[in-house]
Amino acid sequence: MGLYEISLATGVGIYIILAVSLNMITGYCGQISLGHAAFYGIGAYTVALLSKIGWPIYLTLGAGFLAAGIIGTIVGLTSLRVREDFLAIVTMGVAFLFVGIVRQQEFLGGEMGISGIPSHGMSKLAYLGLVLFFAVLSILFSWYVKRSWMGFAFDAVADDEDTAKVLGLDVKAYKLTAFAMGTAMAGLAGGLYAYYTRFIIPDTFGFIESITILSMVAVGGIGSIFGVVFATILLVLMPEFFRFINDYKLLLYGVLLFSVMRFAPEGLSGFFKLLVRRKDG
Amino acid sequence: MLFIELFIQGLIQGSTYAIIAVGLTLIYGLLRVLHVAHAGLFTLGAYLGVVLTNQTGSLSLGILLAALISGIVGMAIYRLVYEPMLSKPPYVALIASIGLYIGMEEIFRLVFGPFGMSFSSAPLQDIVVFFGIHLRTCQIITVVTNVVLLGILAWIAQRTRIGTGWRATVDDPQMSACFGINPIKVRYMVFFTGSALAAVAGVMVALLTNIVEPTMGAVPSYKSLAIIVLGGLGNVFGTLIASLVLGILEAFGTIYIGDLLDRDAIAFAFLIIVLMIKPTGIFTSR
Amino acid sequence: MTTILLAESVTVKFGGVTALEDVHMDVKQGEFLSLIGPNGAGKTTLLNTITGVVTPVNASLKLGNKDISNLPTHKRIRLGLALTHQIVRPFKSMTILENVAFAAGFKKVRKIIPSLITLNRSLEKKKAIEFLEMVDIAQYQDQEVSKLPLGVLKRLEVARALAVEPQILLLDEPLAGLNSQEAGKLADTVKSISKQGVTIVMIEHNLSEVLRVSDRLHVLDNGRNLAQGEPKAVMNQPEVRAAYLGI
Repeated sequence: MGLYEISLATGVGIYIILAVSLNMITGYCGQISLGHAAFYGIGAYTVALLSKIGWPIYLTLGAGFLAAGIIGTIVGLTSLRVREDFLAIVTMGVAFLFVGIVRQQEFLGGEMGISGIPSHGMSKLAYLGLVLFFAVLSILFSWYVKRSWMGFAFDAVADDEDTAKVLGLDVKAYKLTAFAMGTAMAGLAGGLYAYYTRFIIPDTFGFIESITILSMVAVGGIGSIFGVVFATILLVLMPEFFRFINDYKLLLYGVLLFSVMRFAPEGLSGFFKLLVRRKDG
Repeated sequence: MLFIELFIQGLIQGSTYAIIAVGLTLIYGLLRVLHVAHAGLFTLGAYLGVVLTNQTGSLSLGILLAALISGIVGMAIYRLVYEPMLSKPPYVALIASIGLYIGMEEIFRLVFGPFGMSFSSAPLQDIVVFFGIHLRTCQIITVVTNVVLLGILAWIAQRTRIGTGWRATVDDPQMSACFGINPIKVRYMVFFTGSALAAVAGVMVALLTNIVEPTMGAVPSYKSLAIIVLGGLGNVFGTLIASLVLGILEAFGTIYIGDLLDRDAIAFAFLIIVLMIKPTGIFTSR
Repeated sequence: MTTILLAESVTVKFGGVTALEDVHMDVKQGEFLSLIGPNGAGKTTLLNTITGVVTPVNASLKLGNKDISNLPTHKRIRLGLALTHQIVRPFKSMTILENVAFAAGFKKVRKIIPSLITLNRSLEKKKAIEFLEMVDIAQYQDQEVSKLPLGVLKRLEVARALAVEPQILLLDEPLAGLNSQEAGKLADTVKSISKQGVTIVMIEHNLSEVLRVSDRLHVLDNGRNLAQGEPKAVMNQPEVRAAYLGI
């Protein structure tokens, strides 16, 4: 594997963690987040700052995971106690607020971002291994959650939260848990990204990035883990293989989001199910 | 003097937010859809305003045509995008709307170029001195236009048969259908009016800054979403007040807390603080 | 008999409209109470206030000796209430069996962490089958909700509510929309549940079934208490006949 392929695969691994983590919130629990990249950014900035003052990689990654999860919990607390549409708007706000605040802070490098992040101290291939390890771990974790009673409760919340309440379920607590777990995983992805590029700027974690992550979840099929992983790989690699797409990447994402929702809201996973059913029938 | 100047700045901004957000809140009230692509119509209006004014040489004709065309596009969006999705879970329309907005931004980039456009000779830029405060004519025109448009809207809503139909449909679609009001017609009207108003706001912003860019809708888009939450989703009066408060808050905030927060981040800092204190927004909807 | 559920001074307003005004209702341990009254009398609003779905202007609610007025819905349910909806609300992504199994697992989802480390659903599925048999819909267990007729879904509502093992079952028009044969069968089922010791509060318009199965009636009219007591005696009161039957 050449350097280019290693770098590409590392990027795919990071996006898989991001998409799987958003799927936990949007797919499992039915809560739309439009600011997922902000938590990705919180993880990246935490890791960048701490690694520059000499913390070792296992501590910085853990700190990025926690920082994003804690801030995610706070954001969740403000928006989850009210109507469902609020979360979409508040998280969209978080996306802009994050970039808005970071840009103005000198200790975060302002517009110029943070450069010279220390190396992770391993070979590029070994680092790819680490990223893929975490990617597989997140897939397995979310697959496990789906099968647990927590996943059962998430299904109920996504389906009809008022009914879930009348069956004695503490709906808010479950929504908050999904949000905390999802944002913490995004923080981990951010940490991995910081070591990967060793240079971060605020705009990387803006609204457009949040929409990119959402596209992966929506195109894959909201809630379906394998659909989401497949769509992530497809959407990250497509612009790389077809260079001309790169200039129209956003147009592609826009059109994809729109047409998947308009014509096939179940995404790729719905498409596969249809194929399987055709075969059976 | 600074105080009054900032206040007037805030009023200009706030009234512009208001005519963008009012369409958004009407549409939310009617369909429970967060119409993110509304900001795309704002940008469309701005581009049409500049292009048509440059072509025809008449600003008023430019504004009128921009409003008309954007209004029609708005109705088409309702028909082709939202109508088939109303029975689906709410995230479907929301995500589709975001996709549509991103797509529109990119189409503007492809059609009109990435670097923005300006009026060939920017109209209404003369300075007027008003009690010692320097204002450009276009700033005055902006506030006047916004206030007049909102006034007309309020008049239609309160005093005419069409307006009664609107309000009844928002309150109880089935009941109003029984009284011979066609809810589908009302939806088309709301989309037309909301989109036309957004387009006018677009041209006004183009006049103020003399530049239109593909991404100019992004900031008003999320701010107007914050505004309609603050105003109590679906509540028109609350939306107007929230718009003005935000405009003024931003004008002062930029001066006094600009080191801490980006101008464009103030809206959401404000939103999050309000939601922590009062989870239903400043004005609870009906 | 001891009072198990007591609702006092319940006042509810929606906007400017008063839906309930100073309503009192008590429910005795083990009884079958029917809550009746004309459309718009506030019956559903009263049940929704008891479960906390509707926030009252004023209300004092006691379950056993415990004041539940300020508890969130899920905590009230956990103290022994269960509610069925007038308009059926099954979880559409689940099968019939899963709908009931989820409710039967209420202890497993009570706390977050235990819910994450618990995987086994077989016990709840077994229990769920028992509840489905109780309401005679076990044969539909693996079907998807969207394909089933209203009669089955109405029964599913009851089975799902039973699965949370309530002391008091609140039923909102369980018989509405069923033909007379189906209605009679479901009323019998509810009566047999009542005989097993579950206290029942049932809103119902089907008077012949109400009179057949109830121990006591509670009548609301226009958001106020109108009458309560032994079924025949209540139906003979002139004001009840006037308000409810229009005679």
